[in-house]
Amino acid sequence: MAAAGASGGQTIGRSSFSRVAVSTAASSSTSAGVKLGPNGAAFVSSGIPDLDRILGGGFLLGSVVMVMEDSDAPHHLLLLRSFMAQGVVHKQPLLFAGPMKEPRLFLGTLPAPVASSKEDGRQRVMGAGTSSDGRTSDEALRIAWQYKKYFGEDKTSHAEHKNNKQEFSNDFDLRKSLERHLLNSQNIECVSTQDGDTLGELQDRCSTFLSKHLRKDGGNLNAGRIAIQSLCAPQCGYFEKDWDMVSFIRSLKAMVRSSNVVAVITFPNAILSNSFCKRWHHLADTLLSIKAIPDEDKDLAKLLTGYQDMVGFLHVHKVAQTNSQVPVILEASTFSLKLRKRRSLVLERLNQAPVDGSAGPSHAASGSCSSSSQGSQLDF
Amino acid sequence: MAEAAVRYLRDGRLEGEHAPALSVSGSLQCCPLAARAMLHVTAALASHAASGKSQARGLVIVAFDRSPQVYLDFMRRRGLDPNTFNRCVRILDCYSDPIGWKQKIQSQQHQESSVEPCSMDKENVTIFRSVKDVDKLMCSIIDLGRGFEGEDKIYFTIAIDSISSMLKDASVSSISGLLSNLRSHDQTSSIFWLIHSDLHEPKFSRAFECLSTMVASVEPAVVDSVYEEEIPGNMSFLEKNYSNAKFYVRLKRRNGRVKHLYEELHVEGNDVKFISSSVSAEVNQNLLPKVQFNLELSEKERSDRANVVLPFEHQGKGEPIRIYDGRRSLPEAQQDPNLTASAILDEVKLPKSATSKGEIHYIRDSDDEQPDSDEDPDDDLDI
Repeated sequence: MAAAGASGGQTIGRSSFSRVAVSTAASSSTSAGVKLGPNGAAFVSSGIPDLDRILGGGFLLGSVVMVMEDSDAPHHLLLLRSFMAQGVVHKQPLLFAGPMKEPRLFLGTLPAPVASSKEDGRQRVMGAGTSSDGRTSDEALRIAWQYKKYFGEDKTSHAEHKNNKQEFSNDFDLRKSLERHLLNSQNIECVSTQDGDTLGELQDRCSTFLSKHLRKDGGNLNAGRIAIQSLCAPQCGYFEKDWDMVSFIRSLKAMVRSSNVVAVITFPNAILSNSFCKRWHHLADTLLSIKAIPDEDKDLAKLLTGYQDMVGFLHVHKVAQTNSQVPVILEASTFSLKLRKRRSLVLERLNQAPVDGSAGPSHAASGSCSSSSQGSQLDF
Repeated sequence: MAEAAVRYLRDGRLEGEHAPALSVSGSLQCCPLAARAMLHVTAALASHAASGKSQARGLVIVAFDRSPQVYLDFMRRRGLDPNTFNRCVRILDCYSDPIGWKQKIQSQQHQESSVEPCSMDKENVTIFRSVKDVDKLMCSIIDLGRGFEGEDKIYFTIAIDSISSMLKDASVSSISGLLSNLRSHDQTSSIFWLIHSDLHEPKFSRAFECLSTMVASVEPAVVDSVYEEEIPGNMSFLEKNYSNAKFYVRLKRRNGRVKHLYEELHVEGNDVKFISSSVSAEVNQNLLPKVQFNLELSEKERSDRANVVLPFEHQGKGEPIRIYDGRRSLPEAQQDPNLTASAILDEVKLPKSATSKGEIHYIRDSDDEQPDSDEDPDDDLDI
């Protein structure tokens, strides 16, 4: 942390307390890809810049992030791939476990970072509110009925933020895969969870991985990442041993808490019984869930703007907070997943479509006065 | 729609991806209908394979619930002749002798020492005798699939009938492992299975749904809302449920969106027909926000509104218009011809009888008053 009270010696008669300047771009004592935040928190990027912004900085080091899968949509793989790709780009050690015979093959599907260009930078600043041709000057008068889209961090100095953002998090191009030489480095390990009846092997691999990344005061913050796909998938041999899975998560959480590692676990929520579902939710530090969208649904198309581009919903249930008793309260907790230009993943708040006078009365009117079934705040 | 499902399976897998998987899920109430739907899909895919329209060269049927003869008969009725049947369909018969007891008894009787796990009964039917061993089952399926003739890479489709019977002998995780390995095997074009979802724990049924890329559920046409089951003895109810069902398909597209399709299933004789009906609006209701106030009237509300008595004189019911003349006493009124007896009696009776239905009796002040004159206060104006 930056040294405090450097100016205290010069001013006699004043108190020796002085505010510690927290610089978000402190890269001297930390390694690439780690951002420091308030209350001694350190963040790594999730690989999706929008998600980092929503969660207040990124994934907290020392926390367990759990993602509830939807059996109808494979979007949890998008989150997992972005997370792993970000770790590889920042050269952070990675441990991946999946319910397949050859987990190494999954690494071949990781996306490559987008080659940064002015076009993308400009598009990022303007957000989703403008039209796709990216005109910055609006000749015609536009009624800003969704004015919240135009607010936000875009107000701050763009150039400075751009540099910092690129160091911390990258936009990933989902159509290109990551270069092979990055994947061949020594610090990527893979475990298969399909064979074997117990979680013992996975637990041993996790504990050896975590023992290399113990948190030490004043030491370098070398972050590590653990990604576990579909922890309770039906093809795993330990699928019916509910208590074994819960105790594995508990021990993982305890080990992760005292280390500089983020663990992301995805699991198909519908497969667990209700009581164990609740236990898993409780064990998570950050809890996200994916929900699928029905295709060609005219009612949803009328209710939400941008329905054609949406591929799913992301709901944020819990956000991790450390060393503080103030919980993180989000303005909106349901976001839509969109693929911009079919290659990069964008999360947006749900925006209600303008009330159409010619359409039926019930749906549009009901949307404005009640919250949607996912519990999002529809505001306009 | 059944045709959409068959087409989806017929097109098979794309390069670099797993094979598409269809899960036909039925329930106990419409169990025979789900079986018919399964037979229909099987026959359709067999005929596509025979005519060369599909990616798959042949079909492997893993039969747990029905004897192979049933498939042969059904396909013959559908128009598939036995020669093409033998060329394009292989059946792994796990129905006749699943645990190998029959063979053991036979060998004991004939004093034979060898017990074979697999033996060929007819040309394209292989009897499988150890259903508890899932690995061996997988090897047998793959071997049968490789046996199809053709140049280049041979793809084949796998039909499993049904998973519910397999779960008697093997665990959920081993069967899920089998399904996911079959899906990822590079010669599998597509795979589909039948499962009766209410025979298992809900989480196990959901686990199999999770493994599939399309779910077709066969639901009973008529469900009794009170008992949620058929009332015994009510034949029309049973009959309806044994000949009609709802066929509801959920297709998981590659971009993550889910397509909902809806049809009705009718059993006619020995065959099954799918009739498309209008897309049910209830399908998509659960994603819309809950309505807090209702702007539409239901039928009952509309009829009640029509029955409300309005406080105007001319209700059109033929009641005489009554004029108040100040005299309230009953005996005098009875002699007075101006006031009708019924009106006075009503006036007096009403407080005593306390009828349940509220009535409005309007008594006009004098004869000069125009009818309904106090409704429009502007009528008094003389401009």
